[in-house]
Amino acid sequence: MRKALFYVPLAAFLALSLFLLSGLFSDPRDHGSALIEKPLPAFQLPDLQQPARIVTAADLKGEVTLLNVWGLWCPTCNAELGFLTELRQQGVRIVGLYYVQPVDAAFGDTFDIDKLRVDVQDKLAEQGDPYLFNIVDEKRSLIFDLGVTGAPETFLIDRNGVIRHHHVGDINPQNWPKIQQLYQNLLQGGTDAP
Amino acid sequence: MIAELGHLALCFALAIALVLAIFPLYGSYKGAAGPVLLARPLAILLFLLTSVAFGALCYSFWSNDFTVLNVASNSNSMLPWYYRMTAVWGSHEGSMLLWVLMLSGWTAAVALLSNSLPLILQGRILGVLGIINVGFYGFVLFMSNPFERTLPFFPVDGRDLNPLLQDFGMIIHPPLLYMGYVGFAVSFAFAIAALLGGRFDSNWARWARPWTLAAWLFLTLGIMLGSWWAYLELGWGGWWFWDPVENASLMPWLVGTALIHSLAVTEKRGTFKSWTVLLAIAAFSLSLLGAFLVRSGVLVSVHAFATDPSRGLFLLFFLLVVVGGSLLLYGVRMHAVRSQARYQLFSREVLLWGNNIFLLTATLVVFLGTLYPLFHKELGLGSISIGEPFFNSIFQYLAIPFALLLGLGPWVRWKQQQWQPLLQPLSMVLVAALVLAVGVLSLYQTPSANLALLGLILGAWVTVSTVGEIQQKAVQLGGVPGLFKLQASHWGMVLGHLGFAMLVVGIAMTKTFSVEKDVRMKIGDSVELNGYTFLLSDVYALNGPNYGGQAAELEVFAHGEKLTHLHAEKRFYPVTRSVMTEAAVDARLSRDLYVALGEELSGPSWALRVYVKPYVRWIWLGAILMALGGLVSLSDRRYRRKAKVAVAETGADAHA
Repeated sequence: MRKALFYVPLAAFLALSLFLLSGLFSDPRDHGSALIEKPLPAFQLPDLQQPARIVTAADLKGEVTLLNVWGLWCPTCNAELGFLTELRQQGVRIVGLYYVQPVDAAFGDTFDIDKLRVDVQDKLAEQGDPYLFNIVDEKRSLIFDLGVTGAPETFLIDRNGVIRHHHVGDINPQNWPKIQQLYQNLLQGGTDAP
Repeated sequence: MIAELGHLALCFALAIALVLAIFPLYGSYKGAAGPVLLARPLAILLFLLTSVAFGALCYSFWSNDFTVLNVASNSNSMLPWYYRMTAVWGSHEGSMLLWVLMLSGWTAAVALLSNSLPLILQGRILGVLGIINVGFYGFVLFMSNPFERTLPFFPVDGRDLNPLLQDFGMIIHPPLLYMGYVGFAVSFAFAIAALLGGRFDSNWARWARPWTLAAWLFLTLGIMLGSWWAYLELGWGGWWFWDPVENASLMPWLVGTALIHSLAVTEKRGTFKSWTVLLAIAAFSLSLLGAFLVRSGVLVSVHAFATDPSRGLFLLFFLLVVVGGSLLLYGVRMHAVRSQARYQLFSREVLLWGNNIFLLTATLVVFLGTLYPLFHKELGLGSISIGEPFFNSIFQYLAIPFALLLGLGPWVRWKQQQWQPLLQPLSMVLVAALVLAVGVLSLYQTPSANLALLGLILGAWVTVSTVGEIQQKAVQLGGVPGLFKLQASHWGMVLGHLGFAMLVVGIAMTKTFSVEKDVRMKIGDSVELNGYTFLLSDVYALNGPNYGGQAAELEVFAHGEKLTHLHAEKRFYPVTRSVMTEAAVDARLSRDLYVALGEELSGPSWALRVYVKPYVRWIWLGAILMALGGLVSLSDRRYRRKAKVAVAETGADAHA
């Protein structure tokens, strides 16, 4: 018994090495979303173009949707607009979730939704408009609930409003086929796991 | 040409390390003196060859030789010469070369200073160091060659050193840190040599102690400098972030601290042997693990070098050989070793055992906090992150019993201690500590139960009991002149403990009383914080050798009188396109005034972040005091005495 005790450090170390070995082959930046297979968090946020209209999670149900987190301040998001517009022309339903950056009142900045609406309209007119509509998340509450780490990020949501995939970074012709497959599976009526 | 010379020297060094790994161990196994005698000249030659290689890389940086890939990626012709020299270890490849330079340096130092050791033990120690050397030289040569060329298409100028690293602190932080990490290789080699020979007498502990102290001393200073550098350069006013790489340096430090205490027991009392050996293996293993974590890309960190699985695989394999092999040897050999000494429940042995338990618990906390996200993810449970609150709260609770024990420890005798004689002096110490703590705190606020009070009480308890113990020693030794009879290592302990008290007070006071303010200021505006008025007097464009940006001048007033002048910079480095904050700090023992210049806003006005941080200096001064304690301990004469030739009794002990 006493003899076995002296092998405990070795056993602990070997167990650790197994973890280190498997850790070597996975990307620490690639983190699965905790929300996969969970319904979209509840929210009530205004539509950018018609602030009187309040969008809720129920509005995203019924059809397979891509929820795209973006902002004018984010160059990658702007570069992504063109390809997303092509996808819209192919019939993909894309809803924008506009990421409003924090403003600091101490520095005299204020959030002006009317100005934002004009800026967004100009940008979309110039680059292509992939969005069915845009949800404005002024306080970043939905963005926080979704666990967004930056922009752009895209969520694939099925007919029942359940999140099926979380894509970090832009969607481009290289990585679209993988997402497209999941998207097609969901379209073909499958509520099966992708 | 020069770079090739360096490369060649490195190849020779690997060959020499191979010979060093094989012959002396073979000789000590066979009992042949010849191969063992080879060890010393080989170790010295290894160091000389590595110095040539390191010198060659320094020359390449000095002469802006952009045909060397490492120089092209990490230096620039506009970089001042002193930063070109620090750029030598600013990259993964260069820092590995520095690492092997230090490793061969320690190896050569052991070779030169181990005259008094039995020949067979010398052979084993240097042989084990040889094996470690082989691993790292192989890693440098095959996985991260610093002499790789960009030929035939070389750039006309380099990509510049990461601006974060262009700072005085960075010139000496990595060398000190690496000296510490690598230094534990010597303690490790002593432990393995003892395991191979099956001898753990007090001589062994006395030989291992100064080496461990030296490594610990470097590591302490290295960590302290890193913390100070982060405070100055990152512009966020913090001094510790619980970043995985900081944790990787803290773990060997905690275990090393446990090791120097455990070695004391093994030296003085001949017990705790298996414990000491395990700690010596653990300290170096954690250094290796730290190297693995930083250089394999397993964890995300601000410090991490580029990720490359083949490097990680090499290091993991090396880790398996060195750590796995030594732990296997530990399992095979150690269970046969029994300690003879007896001690009572209330004795210094038990208190030092408690010290080890707390230090190891702290290590385990850091270890789990650092690696738990990895475990969690690899078990398929998804991603999580563990941050400051977890570490801070657990360390706060660990510090309380630890500091209480620390104050008690030096009063208690070896073997056994009656508690009655201690009751009176220690209750006096306790009262004095409470009065001191509450008194200091009432200078700041009404004494209320908070972190500052706790920290002050713990700090005062450790300080008063340490001073009290010295006073008691003075009485025993016949007045103040008697204190000169105290061993240097005793004074080392006193300094180390006072340093710890300072650290605790510094952390508690800074955490509790720091105030900060984010402000928008125009020239001529002023802001008030904690009784200090900061007046922004000027902002102008900067023109550095390899950077531009803006500098702000501030005047600080207190009670209507001018106190000091502050100069904060926000630098822009065009080559790497990055922005760096050079915070302005006015440091006093009792508080730091700290200003970081932020963005230019419309107006023109500027965003500034202003801090008043009481006692923040005490954190680093405490660490320096601890390191000083290590240095004083090192000067103890008994480490330089010729070792008594191994006595018969120790042999019996090993085979009991």
